[in-house]
Amino acid sequence: MKRLPSVLLLIFFFTFTMMLPQAGAERKTDGKPDGGALNYGEYGRPATLDPITSNDMISMRVIELIFNGLVGIDEKQEIVPELAERSEISEDGRTYTFYLRQDVTWHPKEGEDPVPFMADDVIFTYNIMMHPQTITSLKVRYEFIESVTKIDDYTVEFKLKRPILNALAKFSFKIIPKHGPENPEFLSREDPFVQKPIGTGPYMLKNITADREVILVANDSYFKGRPHIDKFAARPFADQNIMSQALLFNAIDMIVLVNHRDIPQVQGDKRFVLQPYNALSYSFFGYNIRNPLLADKRVRKAFTFAVNRQEMLDSFFQGQGTIISGPFAPGSWAYNLDVQPLQYDPQKAIELLNEAGFVKGDDGIMVKDGQKLSLTLKVPIEKESEAVKRVVLAFRNYLNKIGVDIEGEFKEWLSWKEDVFLKHDFDIIFASWVFDDSADISSLFHSAEIGPWKNNFGAYSNPEVDSLIVESKLTLDHEKRRTINRKLHAIIADESPYTFLWTLTNYAAFNKKLRRVAIHPYKFFSFADDWFIPTSEQR
Amino acid sequence: MKLSSIRPVAFLISKELVIAALLLLGVSFVIFIILFLSPGDPFGVMLKGQMISGSAKAGVREALSMSSAWYSQYLSWLVNMLHGDFGTSTRTGLPVLSEVIRVGINTLYLTIGSMLVTLFLAVPIAIFSARRGMTVFNWTSTIFTYVVSALPVFWLGYIVIYISIHQFGLFPLAFGSGSQKIDWLNFMLPVFVLGIGNGTISEVVRYLREEMERVFSEDYIRTARAKGASIWKHSFKEGFLIPITEIVASKIPFILGGAVVVEQVFNWPGMGRMAWQAAQDRDYPLIMGITLLAAIIVRLGSLIQRVVHIMVNPRASQE
Amino acid sequence: MKRYSQYSVEVSDFSDVPFWKKASFMDLVYVSYGIFIVILVIGSYIVGAFDLLPYDPHEINLELLMAPPQSSGHFLGTDFMGRDILSRLIIGIQAYFLPGLLAIAIAIILGTCFGVLAGYWGSGFDTIITYINNLLNSFPRLVLILLMVAAFKPDIYYIMVIVGITNVPVVASLIKGKIQFLKQKYFIEAATALGLKNRVIIFKHILWHNCRSILIIQATLGMAEAILMETSLSYLGFGVQEPTPSWGNMVQAGANYLMQGKFWPSTAPALAILFTIMGFHLLGDGLNNMLERRRNK
Repeated sequence: MKRLPSVLLLIFFFTFTMMLPQAGAERKTDGKPDGGALNYGEYGRPATLDPITSNDMISMRVIELIFNGLVGIDEKQEIVPELAERSEISEDGRTYTFYLRQDVTWHPKEGEDPVPFMADDVIFTYNIMMHPQTITSLKVRYEFIESVTKIDDYTVEFKLKRPILNALAKFSFKIIPKHGPENPEFLSREDPFVQKPIGTGPYMLKNITADREVILVANDSYFKGRPHIDKFAARPFADQNIMSQALLFNAIDMIVLVNHRDIPQVQGDKRFVLQPYNALSYSFFGYNIRNPLLADKRVRKAFTFAVNRQEMLDSFFQGQGTIISGPFAPGSWAYNLDVQPLQYDPQKAIELLNEAGFVKGDDGIMVKDGQKLSLTLKVPIEKESEAVKRVVLAFRNYLNKIGVDIEGEFKEWLSWKEDVFLKHDFDIIFASWVFDDSADISSLFHSAEIGPWKNNFGAYSNPEVDSLIVESKLTLDHEKRRTINRKLHAIIADESPYTFLWTLTNYAAFNKKLRRVAIHPYKFFSFADDWFIPTSEQR
Repeated sequence: MKLSSIRPVAFLISKELVIAALLLLGVSFVIFIILFLSPGDPFGVMLKGQMISGSAKAGVREALSMSSAWYSQYLSWLVNMLHGDFGTSTRTGLPVLSEVIRVGINTLYLTIGSMLVTLFLAVPIAIFSARRGMTVFNWTSTIFTYVVSALPVFWLGYIVIYISIHQFGLFPLAFGSGSQKIDWLNFMLPVFVLGIGNGTISEVVRYLREEMERVFSEDYIRTARAKGASIWKHSFKEGFLIPITEIVASKIPFILGGAVVVEQVFNWPGMGRMAWQAAQDRDYPLIMGITLLAAIIVRLGSLIQRVVHIMVNPRASQE
Repeated sequence: MKRYSQYSVEVSDFSDVPFWKKASFMDLVYVSYGIFIVILVIGSYIVGAFDLLPYDPHEINLELLMAPPQSSGHFLGTDFMGRDILSRLIIGIQAYFLPGLLAIAIAIILGTCFGVLAGYWGSGFDTIITYINNLLNSFPRLVLILLMVAAFKPDIYYIMVIVGITNVPVVASLIKGKIQFLKQKYFIEAATALGLKNRVIIFKHILWHNCRSILIIQATLGMAEAILMETSLSYLGFGVQEPTPSWGNMVQAGANYLMQGKFWPSTAPALAILFTIMGFHLLGDGLNNMLERRRNK
């Protein structure tokens, strides 16, 4: 009698698919024309196209077009329902129940009927993600979930280990289909699914061409209505200068991130639109506080005073950015606008150094107890690194002016990473952090995060900061957390474990024929199903 | 063809195959040692975006069922390779063999094409200057080849692209320019740049000229000339065929190196570009695959050269 | 790297006429141009050492980024950091010269050793050395260099060591070929029959009399190759690192602006590379012609 249940299930399955509303011909109701194609240029090519194993921005952007999460984030950064129609949060804040949409189908495989999206897929995705043999950067972010249960085919319940603030936003992870991966337990990069993803999103993968171009076509039965543009193509480039020329020459229609060097040229061209979007990231010089010379807060602060950030921003990035004062991304709610960035003041810097016991030696270099203030700045090599070179060279120049000797050392990327995060063999680094929406800085400055391969590479440790970070994590009140974070911001700004530099305004450049373009800060294509091309310009 | 000329060739080929196998073993071993010595590993790339702890790394190792001792890693790679399994790229998960063949073919177009460009320009110049000495025309063309091959190849590529955009209104990328059909001009430009740049053409001209001059001054050619017979016919094999195959075979590794740069400038989805990416990702299986393919191409070039040499001059096989 | 004819024998220099007197006019021009370039290189060191540069090559001027030539006293304009291009151009050769010499020294010394071992003592050595040669020939060099750079650091000396090592096979096979040719002509047998020691035969009669042109030419070409290699690596980001100026990283930095129609920052160093490499090429050509004396038959 072992067979019967499966047969029953099959029948059930079958009738159920029949009952589903036919979503095939659904159109958007905004009256905008369908059709046209968008070719966008990427610097590099995506490694994998599934939401679990992928971890580069290029893949992320493609994935945003193919997949959906239970919830999404709209243009105002608010959480909106996506695959889940609505959600319920229990009194104690530990149980999240999601009621799934019943009109969603997975992208059909060729010649097959579309499979409906159901609760099993959500549970499957969670299990795959948390399986120890799945290699994914998402795992740590979902450790707060204790369990997930299926209530019925269209209801899922998540139990949290402890209530946390803004947990709902975290359920925006992308759902993959149960029938997708070959291996039902975990997902490795060898699974064919990672190159042939099946999602629920507005676009579905058509093919990857021989020169690694990713071709996506509109999903006619997308549950929010068919997207307007028929085809998206991600075209890989190996040289940024050539990519910009490709845009100017209409070989591609869009560049997701324009090199700041090319902004004036694109700006001057009437055929293109430059659209800013604020990335949740910032650049900084990070100090190794293990070095006794840098252990003194006054020295680090002196460095910040000595650097003319506005001049660098204006000269190198056409002023396209905001100078920051503290550890949060300025776009986020946690950023404390009351703390002003230190003004450029080399005189003050010298005074601070003198205060810390340094005096100018014969060769113009500051000396304390016979020890020269001479430091190594380690920078990773990238092929396209003009901006990095500029900032690093200018920094060196500014510090030389106040009598600090900086030895720049460029290293290959992975060996740089090993020096900084494993061996801690550096004095200063130049780097950037990119944040998700959570504005969580605990891993950057908490003293428990000092150690090999941990994010507090500079060994910054301050009991007050530690306790504030913990407190901020535990509180469930948004306003209270804001206050704590503002305090954190003020302390860290004063202690200067980093010289915080700026958040750059990113620019996407695209052909004028694209209309109603809205861009998500780091997922980019979240709203691409609303973009359209007027019929007359569809070529 | 006479049997007597086939036998040494067959012998040579079988001998070369054995040598090639040994060489490939050596190449793979050396590359593996260097990979092992270089900091960072493929796990770093797979876990990019999160800072990894030692335990997470061990987990990845386990997930990939990879032992940590380098010799057992090498041996298992070798055994798999002998069974025709080159593994999968750690970055994309795609099988190495098909990936390498895909890009290898693109690179072969580029290298063979550029080789033909080089020969097409270099051979006439070399012949004329060997036969007629340094006339004004020969001198100018020789100097021209020196000039172009002394230019940085990526700069030359940029200039060519700039000119084709601004003078001819063409965007010269064969791949990724949107046109479905491969435009011949777009295809030719990178081939042309790699053919004349990269320091190859001047060396070919010089080598061929030297060799031809030497052959033209040999006794038997002088005799032939005195008899009024065609010099060309007599000097073809030794003064033309052998030097060309020789220089071509010896330039293959350099052209493959130049392809790394040209492929990046012209967005050519080839082996050099992939090798570069793979080396930065520490994508071990892919690096090994590409190195092997490159080594095979080099060996193939030298095999052809040896075969030609022996077929032209059977005595050489006894050396 | 180039190969030169291995087939002429110089038994001994009986003639009293110095070789430059027998040279043709063009060869003299070539060689003097090459020597001129070498003098310029030495001049660059002198100018650098005595602080005679028009500007400090490291002086950053953020108000004057990418200034066109002839502006504000900068003869060749300024680069992406507002530094004077002319000054950087003048000392740019120094980034290559000593490392290039190292590459040449490695290639020549190791190559000669291998060549003599394989050619003079024959079969046993020959098999091993042929194997090593073929092995070195089979690597994709740029990838090898990237891996080495990662394993150690992106230092021009490390890169040049690899360039030198990968050039060993060329020199070795040239020397070996020459020795085998000499053997064919019973040159070595004759020398041995005269009772000469191996040492004397190798150093005086083989290397000095018969291989010096090969070696000199390989040396001049090695420099040209070192420059081109560094330039390619600079494009990929692994050449000489800032703030040290090298022509390669100057071309690379300038080429970023080439598509915007700003030619000067990359063209000036590219031309410097061109004239220098031409100089070494022509020096090699001229010396070859003079030493081999084939031109004045």
